[in-house]
Amino acid sequence: MYPREFDYVAPGTLDEALAVLASNPGAKIMSGGMSLIPMMKLRLLSPATVIDIGRIPGLDAIEDRGDHLAIGALVRHAQTASSDLVTTYAAALAQAAALTGDVQVRNRGTTVGAVAHADLAADTTAAVLALGATMVARSSAGTREIPASEFFVDTLTSALADDEILVELRVPKSGEGESSAYTKLGRRGGESDYAVAGVAAWVRKTNGSVSDARVALTGVGSKAMLSSGAMDAIIGSDGSEAAIAAAADRAADGISVLEDLYGSEEYKAHLAKVYVKRALGAALS
Amino acid sequence: MVNQRLIPTAIEPRRVLAEWEAGYQTLRMHTTSQMPHAVAGALAMALGLPSTSVRVIAPEVGGGFGAKLNVYSDEILVGWAARQLERPVRWTETRREAATSTIQGRGWIGTATIVGTRDGEILGYEFDGLADMGAYTQNFTAAIPFLGLFVASGQYKMPTYWKIDCVATNTTTTDAYRGAGRPEAMYYIERIMDMYAREIGMDPADVRRKNFIPAEEFPVAMSPVGFAMDTGDYAMNLDALLETGAYDEMKAARDSARAEGRNVGIGLSTYVEVCGFAPAGLADLGFSWSAYGLPSAFNGNGLVRVNADATVTVTIGTGPSGQGHQTTWAQIVADRLGIPVDDIVVKHGDTGDSPMGIGTFGSRSAAVDGSAAYEAADRVRLKAAKLAAHLLEASEDDIVFADGAAHVAGSPESSVPWSEIAMVAYQPQKAPEGTDPGLESEVVFSPANATWPFGSHLAMVEVDAETGNVEILRYVAMDDCGNVINPMIVDGQVHGGLVQGIGQALFEEAIYDENGNLLTGSMVDYPIPTAGDVPMFELHRTTTPTDINPLGVKGIGEAGTIGSAQTIVNAVVDAVASYGVTHIDMPLRPRRVWEAMNAASGNGRA
Ligand SMILES: Cc1cc2nc3c(=O)[nH]c(=O)nc-3n(C[C@H](O)[C@H](O)[C@H](O)COP(=O)(O)OP(=O)(O)OC[C@H]3O[C@@H](n4cnc5c(N)ncnc54)[C@H](O)[C@@H]3O)c2cc1C
Repeated sequence: MYPREFDYVAPGTLDEALAVLASNPGAKIMSGGMSLIPMMKLRLLSPATVIDIGRIPGLDAIEDRGDHLAIGALVRHAQTASSDLVTTYAAALAQAAALTGDVQVRNRGTTVGAVAHADLAADTTAAVLALGATMVARSSAGTREIPASEFFVDTLTSALADDEILVELRVPKSGEGESSAYTKLGRRGGESDYAVAGVAAWVRKTNGSVSDARVALTGVGSKAMLSSGAMDAIIGSDGSEAAIAAAADRAADGISVLEDLYGSEEYKAHLAKVYVKRALGAALS
Repeated sequence: MVNQRLIPTAIEPRRVLAEWEAGYQTLRMHTTSQMPHAVAGALAMALGLPSTSVRVIAPEVGGGFGAKLNVYSDEILVGWAARQLERPVRWTETRREAATSTIQGRGWIGTATIVGTRDGEILGYEFDGLADMGAYTQNFTAAIPFLGLFVASGQYKMPTYWKIDCVATNTTTTDAYRGAGRPEAMYYIERIMDMYAREIGMDPADVRRKNFIPAEEFPVAMSPVGFAMDTGDYAMNLDALLETGAYDEMKAARDSARAEGRNVGIGLSTYVEVCGFAPAGLADLGFSWSAYGLPSAFNGNGLVRVNADATVTVTIGTGPSGQGHQTTWAQIVADRLGIPVDDIVVKHGDTGDSPMGIGTFGSRSAAVDGSAAYEAADRVRLKAAKLAAHLLEASEDDIVFADGAAHVAGSPESSVPWSEIAMVAYQPQKAPEGTDPGLESEVVFSPANATWPFGSHLAMVEVDAETGNVEILRYVAMDDCGNVINPMIVDGQVHGGLVQGIGQALFEEAIYDENGNLLTGSMVDYPIPTAGDVPMFELHRTTTPTDINPLGVKGIGEAGTIGSAQTIVNAVVDAVASYGVTHIDMPLRPRRVWEAMNAASGNGRA
């Protein structure tokens, strides 16, 4: 299909972009366009104005800020996947970015854009949840920090307000005893394509036991979400194979699983368990 | 067993550009067609124009696979609009339109039965099927099951009863999609053959070999379903596959993987293909473009001209949709004339250049159009030999062509370059008396039969016990398409065919809701394999030339799809047979495989 007619603006600064956004209610931000353009062509979205932030300088860096990494709005998946900082300090995010789409999508699509898009089967959404990231949103009124746990509201719906631009993703650096991993089954089998089910796990081990953990699911429910069942079971355990299996068993506790062409409720609930086991296993190995 | 509906997904969607050239009173159309002459014929009829007022050009088309082997109403409408408006009019299909209004493929449901003895002797094969035609019949719609019938008994000598009902449904029309009826037919035989082997506890290779049509029976006057077949040596080909693929080692590797609890399986399939369409006799059965005002027989047309500067123009009325026909055709002519391939230009797919051209389909472009080019080049060569003999004062029987010149056999110092021969050809006063001027020939090649390529494929897969995910560990193909003109092009065809067959086996399915709405109309919902989703293929060949055409070539465009889907399914079923699984319908997405494993065993091994 062809998109409806729209105005295109490509501001040179963030302030300019925020001003255009404020004065054009219903305008949409475009970073890589990998999801926005298909949505417009399918007329699932028909914004009157598209604001391309791709030419704004200074948004394409991954910075080490001591206790966290800051990932700018124009950092592409390929950059996230291959960054030494991200692979070292936020492994699950690097892995999720590496398993997103194909080469073209990773070269053009941004990690922040994927998070803002909030697809229910996206890979990086689970990673930012498990890593306990913070989203930094700006509007012409100011800057707001939104914890990942509050960011994903529903399918394709985030906590961003219409006049806000997600400018940065802050990911706490995994320190001593902390590690993370992301595993998935893709729609084309293996790890290819959107997640039929994907799990990101972050763990902290102190004195031989799991003192803290976050386990996030994607593809399973209506949005990326934490698995409180798995987290309850693994926190305080010794992180052994048996403890992981017990946590996996509770992966889909209290979660309403959505079926689609790639999986029934039963299958997806089962996959949630399998991939919680694999992600925790990888994080704890 | 279901052979599901597929959406042919060419990289380039269909597109049409038409312009009424008032000065020439000609409608000129560029269209992504596999049959430009038929489009021209249909346009002339629909718009009431003489054929001289319609020119259709199908340039380098970005993939066809049978889906562009139709005259679509869009083409007629764009032509009509351009004529009415006297303005260029362009139409480009979107992906969603491609999914709903370009033809689809496959869509069969069938029951296959083998009756045989416990020691592997097949007494009879029966197939009872339903083929989904969609809402309207298009170019080949009803002929697709018929193409399946051609190969309905596969490589086997067995009494065959084959019945298929064609049903209309309120969905998109089905028509030719790479293989067109033959992948479907081969799927059913080769699945049931595996089930039979398992039932009687015999190696799948041995059961097949035991029932082959023996090599000494070729040429076959009448196959079990009534067709004459050119050449074949099925046992030789299968043995080559098993040896090259190291079948015994593969089985040992499978068994030791199983001992470690891994679900590894091996799948085998043989196939016979029928292509190089078509013998003129088929026109009587309705295989023709006569509805578009074209000659009724599917001949090949080749026009070869050596120009005055010793370059060569080869004009063929059909053309490639990515296969590399220009290269193959140029090689045929270069080889025949001894003129470097770089000096040969192939003009194709333009009804303004070429007197006639049937189309690119049924793996016919080498066997039929290539043979026409070969014979045309041969006639040019004979004429050039006369001229060279005159110039060299030698006997024309002693003239040989190589390296851009004519030589006298045995005395290499005595030679004359093609450029000189051509100059003479275009100046009658310098030629021997009675010589027609010019150095060109046009041949219409009418094959006596179709050609019957064959082959056998072997795959090894692993199924993830927890998720049902299928990973292809190895894929070995042993194809036999007769003589090979360009090995790289042949390999490329097999590659693409395998990927599409694997796409059917593992990923693709057109799904409609009960009201006939397509649920898989975007590529998010209709996954096709990419390079990253398939293994490195191990491609090999045996060579059994045909005697149907002077080149000894059969055809390779569709063999990959015809041999592969069931090879994968056979391997997956073998991998999970220990759960009690006997069959899983395609596509074998992880969910389906997992569900089959569960249903058969409650997810414990039987
Ligand atoms: C062929 C293909 C395959 C894919 N496969 C996968 C896959 O396997 N796994 C997976 O997870 N994803 C997959 N994707 C999705 C891909 O990851 C996203 O499309 C991409 O990362 C989105 O980023 P973008 O920069 O292109 O965002 P855009 O398309 O530009 O924007 C997406 C949405 O987010 C909004 N937005 C973007 N940036 C901002 C911002 N800074 N502030 C506020 N709002 C913003 C836009 O307004 C829009 O609504 C695939 C996409 C394609 C096209």
